[in-house]
Amino acid sequence: MNTLITMTIIGPLLAAAAGMAFRRSARLRDISTLTGVASAAIASFGMLWQVSSNGATAVRVGAWNPELGIVLVVDLFAALVLPVALSVILVVEIFAFGQRRTAWGANPELTGPLLSVLTAGVSLAILTGDLFTLFVAFELILVSSYVLLTHQGQREQIRSGMTYVVMNLLASTLFLFGLAIVYAATGTVNIALLAERIPDLSEGVRIGIGMWFLVVFGTKAALFPLFSWLPDSYPTAPTTITAVFAGLLTKIGIYAMIRFHTLTGMDDLGPVLLIVAGITMLVGALGALAQNDIKRILSFHVISQIGYMLMGLGLFSVAGTTGAILFLVHHMPVKTVLFLVGGLIENHQGTSALDRSGGLVRSRPLIAFLFAIPALSLAGLPPFSGFVAKLAVIDAGVEGLSTSIVVCALVAGILTLLSMTKIWLGAFWGPSPETGSSTTSTALNRKIMTGATMLAVGGTLTISLFAGSIFDLSQEAAIQLINEDSYITLVLS
Amino acid sequence: MITGHSPIARLGVQVATPLAIVVGVYLLFAGHNNPGGGFAAGLVFGAVISLRTVTGLQRPSYANELLAAGVLVVAAVALAPVLIGNSLLDQGIISVDLPFLGTVKSGSALPFDIGVTAIVIGLMLAVLDGLGAADLGDSTEVKLGEKRP
Repeated sequence: MNTLITMTIIGPLLAAAAGMAFRRSARLRDISTLTGVASAAIASFGMLWQVSSNGATAVRVGAWNPELGIVLVVDLFAALVLPVALSVILVVEIFAFGQRRTAWGANPELTGPLLSVLTAGVSLAILTGDLFTLFVAFELILVSSYVLLTHQGQREQIRSGMTYVVMNLLASTLFLFGLAIVYAATGTVNIALLAERIPDLSEGVRIGIGMWFLVVFGTKAALFPLFSWLPDSYPTAPTTITAVFAGLLTKIGIYAMIRFHTLTGMDDLGPVLLIVAGITMLVGALGALAQNDIKRILSFHVISQIGYMLMGLGLFSVAGTTGAILFLVHHMPVKTVLFLVGGLIENHQGTSALDRSGGLVRSRPLIAFLFAIPALSLAGLPPFSGFVAKLAVIDAGVEGLSTSIVVCALVAGILTLLSMTKIWLGAFWGPSPETGSSTTSTALNRKIMTGATMLAVGGTLTISLFAGSIFDLSQEAAIQLINEDSYITLVLS
Repeated sequence: MITGHSPIARLGVQVATPLAIVVGVYLLFAGHNNPGGGFAAGLVFGAVISLRTVTGLQRPSYANELLAAGVLVVAAVALAPVLIGNSLLDQGIISVDLPFLGTVKSGSALPFDIGVTAIVIGLMLAVLDGLGAADLGDSTEVKLGEKRP
């Protein structure tokens, strides 16, 4: 287990260093960064296998005791989310190899090493057992994301990049203050110790801490009303970057929220979370309807879908948390695939604006097929993973007698289907644009890009196929989170 | 630009450089048990480098190499204990009796700190290069004692 953890965190960092050292030689650089991410992904699957067969483990970094040092905790929740997150990055890296020589490609000299650093940050954020290391991991992710978002230096990117940087810096500062507050109140930042000590605090302090971290993680997760940075900044970046960000970054925020708020027993915040969740769902879905660009529609849906995960969390029941975890696992690959398909369309037609594209069903039936599956899954139609995830969340809502949030979720689901139909009508049916395709890519590049997308669609189908066993694992993970005793004994003993 | 307007700034930075480097080296070695450390040392060195850049003085120019080497050293120190079966980032401590200095205690935290310093300096250089800070220094080259045109 020690080696596997090392491979997921130090591996990508080493790969980033190698990628930087081999800056001049494209082949060596690509091989080293790809190896780093691939080995991390493989190691994370090994972790999932080990945890599901032998139970959770906690590793004390530098053999310090948890009061003082850093603990990396591989419980079922972490082991379930990590492989999905790392596979998403891996697929996008492969896609990037195909896309780089086109006009929409990101600069490979930067993206290779920086995506590796981002991978290390994601692994650290998922595995860490204390809030300060979580802060460091967030910073690792954010610093590389600032560069990835704006490195092409186009006017739009810099403009929306400013909002992105300012909002996230603000959230990071609040995070740091929050750490000070937590430390002052409890004398620790270790999550297991906090799970022991926070329930004993006076009600005001406890709820204050919960709300504070709701704002901090909520900004990263793009909850209502803190989402304004997302739909502006995501669509301006190169497709590969947007795909990683949309698939992962907001999800890391919601992951941290699920871990922190369940383990520290913030059940009192349930109603607040549910209200925010309902508004987030509806605002995201309605915002998407008003857009006329594939990437912008999909960006608004990132927000809408976060609402579902928050709803699952806000119910503070085993069923609800199960739903939230399942939704997280389903959502990461599906969202990434949709953005990758958006990239394919952009590459084929020269634009991702709906009114200037059309006729893809006839000219590129494969792209239409690759879009249809994740789109139906996102809208929550059976038999895809989205259906199982939504059903789990809504079922938990019915069980928890929260009727209004269930109605919100269903309405948002219909709106999602509507805007997916809008993309379908705009990009796939109708006449082809007169301008024709303006692709600058070679056949090989297209093959790599399509291949990577097919791989990702295969991944989402695999999740649909094994939805039953993933549901069981999510349920077990949810039980571990809601009954925090097992987590506490795992870390402290 | 800045040099052109102010030879004082340039001379000041020139004089302060060795002093600041001594402070940086002190922080680097003190970091293990006292306030300081690789990051703080890197910031001091970075400040020196930025000041030298904007006043048009010589400075190192191998940002990527420093970044890569720093990460490699840090990762190697973090990984080494795993290879011999201890936990990640575990450290070894040695203490040596040296003439004049007395008992010196150090360990694997020292190369780790040096790696961190290299990363910070490398990052600082990369940022300066990225922002084109060197232009501030060499737009008007005016040597001390020379009359400006």
